[in-house]
Amino acid sequence: MKIALVGNPNVGKSTVFNALTGSNQQVGNWAGKTVERKSGLIQRANQEIELIDLPGTYSLTAYSQEEIITREYILREKPDVVMAMVDASNIERNLYLVLQILELSPRVVIGLNMLDLAQTAGITIRTSELAAALNVPVVEIVAAKGKGIEEFLTEAIRVGELEQDLSPVEVSYPKELEQKIQAMEDLLAKTKWATRYPMRWLALKRLERDPEIGQEWKISTSQSRKSKSKDSCCDPGDVVNYELLETVVLPGDDLLQTYEAEGWSKDHFEMAFADAKYKYISHILPRFRTHENPAKPTWTDLLDRWVLSPIWGYPIMFAVLAVVFWGSFVASAPIGDAVSQGMAWTADVLVGLLRWGHVPDFVQSLVRDGIFAGVGAVLAFVPQIAIFFAFFSFMQDSGYLARAAFLGDRFMQLMGLHGKSFFSLVSGFGCNVPGIMATRTLEDPKDRLITMLINPLIPCVPRLGVMSAVVAAFFPGSRGSVVMLSLLFLSMILVMFSALFLRRVVKQTERSAFVMELPLYHIPTMRNVLIPTWHKTYSFLKRAWTFILVASIVVWVLSSYPQGVPMNETWAGDMGGWLSFIGRPLGFDWRIMVAIVFGFTAKETTLSTLGILYGVAADASQSIAQAMTGAMTPLRAFTFLVVYMLYIPCLASVVTTYKESGSLGWTSFGVAYNLILSFVMGWIVFHGGMLLGFQ
Amino acid sequence: MKRLLGDLKPGERACVEHIEGGGALRRRMMDMGIVPGVELEVVRRAPWGGPLQVRLKGYYLAMRRGECAKIIVTEAHQEHREHLLASR
Ligand SMILES: Nc1nc2c(ncn2[C@@H]2O[C@H](COP(=O)(O)OP(=O)(O)O)[C@@H](O)[C@H]2O)c(=O)[nH]1
Repeated sequence: MKIALVGNPNVGKSTVFNALTGSNQQVGNWAGKTVERKSGLIQRANQEIELIDLPGTYSLTAYSQEEIITREYILREKPDVVMAMVDASNIERNLYLVLQILELSPRVVIGLNMLDLAQTAGITIRTSELAAALNVPVVEIVAAKGKGIEEFLTEAIRVGELEQDLSPVEVSYPKELEQKIQAMEDLLAKTKWATRYPMRWLALKRLERDPEIGQEWKISTSQSRKSKSKDSCCDPGDVVNYELLETVVLPGDDLLQTYEAEGWSKDHFEMAFADAKYKYISHILPRFRTHENPAKPTWTDLLDRWVLSPIWGYPIMFAVLAVVFWGSFVASAPIGDAVSQGMAWTADVLVGLLRWGHVPDFVQSLVRDGIFAGVGAVLAFVPQIAIFFAFFSFMQDSGYLARAAFLGDRFMQLMGLHGKSFFSLVSGFGCNVPGIMATRTLEDPKDRLITMLINPLIPCVPRLGVMSAVVAAFFPGSRGSVVMLSLLFLSMILVMFSALFLRRVVKQTERSAFVMELPLYHIPTMRNVLIPTWHKTYSFLKRAWTFILVASIVVWVLSSYPQGVPMNETWAGDMGGWLSFIGRPLGFDWRIMVAIVFGFTAKETTLSTLGILYGVAADASQSIAQAMTGAMTPLRAFTFLVVYMLYIPCLASVVTTYKESGSLGWTSFGVAYNLILSFVMGWIVFHGGMLLGFQ
Repeated sequence: MKRLLGDLKPGERACVEHIEGGGALRRRMMDMGIVPGVELEVVRRAPWGGPLQVRLKGYYLAMRRGECAKIIVTEAHQEHREHLLASR
């Protein structure tokens, strides 16, 4: 039996899904979409049930990816039962989606969640009256406490096994509309195709000129494709593809023309249907809901007085961000170090074994300096990513993320972006990898792509560390902070400029709408935080693994062949040499170019590369930077800092962009854009500086 | 008296009269429950021209000022009746 969970965002769908499926989940992506697809198998009374958690959505039109997915799933895959979840504390708007589902799907069970919250807000819902008003079963749940979840599933199974479909309530539209719907129904009743969907729904959609009406789709889960993509680096997950089989021409075009002439356009119909649904809801609402003291402030109201306050909102946000940053990027450092040390130790043990077995030297070096060093550098990120995502899930589930978007929206508006991009960009200061991953909350795919592509321009903590060491060496005293601030300012300006520029490139014509729900505050459950954290970390590891392994080996080969020569004569050194024609206009010598080439895997290594090239024995970043002062003028150092800050952060960020955007083209574009921008900016700074008479 | 939603002061209420423009934005507003006749309350405005927090149907929505300027509202005089209905 196939059962689908549907509901508004934040109703507690994941809580129910996690409780029912436990660890037995498959997380992938919807074909061609950047939205997660979660499914799980459940065994109940010799029934095997496939439960699908559809993305949270406010309606079944085709406005966002989430809506399209939910609609396509219900239309094309026809689940046996739909479990529709409703937030009791916000039932009026939630029922709007329910009414749409009832029109489309004959077997629906309603799960009335958040009853505890509703109660504290003074809302009482009489479940039996609600069930009577809609004529479908209603089950009471408090998902966060695990209450009613099993009953919800049992009821869904019972409905799925019924001989006959339920006959849910039909929204009665105003008379004028009813006549038009009836006329369309009469026309459609003659076609064979029309029998597969509820007639009334078809008529409504035909009047709205829904393009999908009349199309027939085949579902294919091509096995070969599935297994092939399993081991490639960006496994799209559980691949279900829809293939268009045929498009049936439905009758009714003439009728639509007539209506159009009478002033009933597509928009007009849509508005009228929505209006009628809301009217219907307000009409039946008093039968099952009482709201005592609606004016009494709730917890959310009290908290928001501070959290969203024009004065306190920003300090609170900075405090929250500080905790997140401290937790993910500072407190995690010892774990990251432990991982690196563990890797180094394992490498030593392995190399010891290899030596004992008289394996050739180059294999030993490949294992130690290539595989373990390269993969270890990326693995050291993993604790950061995991902790960051735990915080991220916590903030998302608790409702704070929407508040941060509300407060940050003003700044994002300047760049033509959505308020939700704010958090992704701020996270970039910690590490660009989670910053790029945090774009998932953005609904509009183009906004999401832009946010992803500009994220690398924000200097992350390791880069800031290298930069401040170089700044301290070249610009002692208070001049240093001015230089550092000017660099940060430059990065801000470029982020803004790039956002506006990329909007043109990706042809983002429509200004993204910012109509966002501010959900009530919730206390997230442990399970809801830990399960997604685990999935994200695991999928990062799984997908990055092969790619990073290959890249590490390539870098190792380039930087250690021909064997036994100094660094500048290896292939990578040669590359730096060839590339010095790019560096020369910027005043860079070959050493800088070599360091830039080597920095591609992970930029924090740049200083140690420079240390080797400048022949500084010391390990400390301060002394390396000190040694550079003899070889470079401050202007050149500043130019270097600009280029260093702006070019690709690291291999892991590139892999993440590829994985999250699912497009090799856009990833290459991003890399190229970064490189070109950094060198162009470097050139401008260098020549501008010379013109102004700086040394 | 007709006004734009964006002109309301925090704490003021009004009823939606109609929504200008069309396309995705309007549909989105519709999905969130902003249809003619609905009562809205502006709760607060983010500083420096940031978005507005609006309350409707017992929940909260954040909207930019540009979007609020598309919503024409009239004075809320049905307030009383609605409360009566709700507590019936
Ligand atoms: N108070 C309360 N909170 C709940 C209940 N069910 C879920 N939550 C919380 O609501 C938030 C959103 O739930 P989630 O399952 O992530 O919603 P989804 O977006 O629909 O998947 C989480 O913080 C949950 O812990 C409930 O019955 N009562």
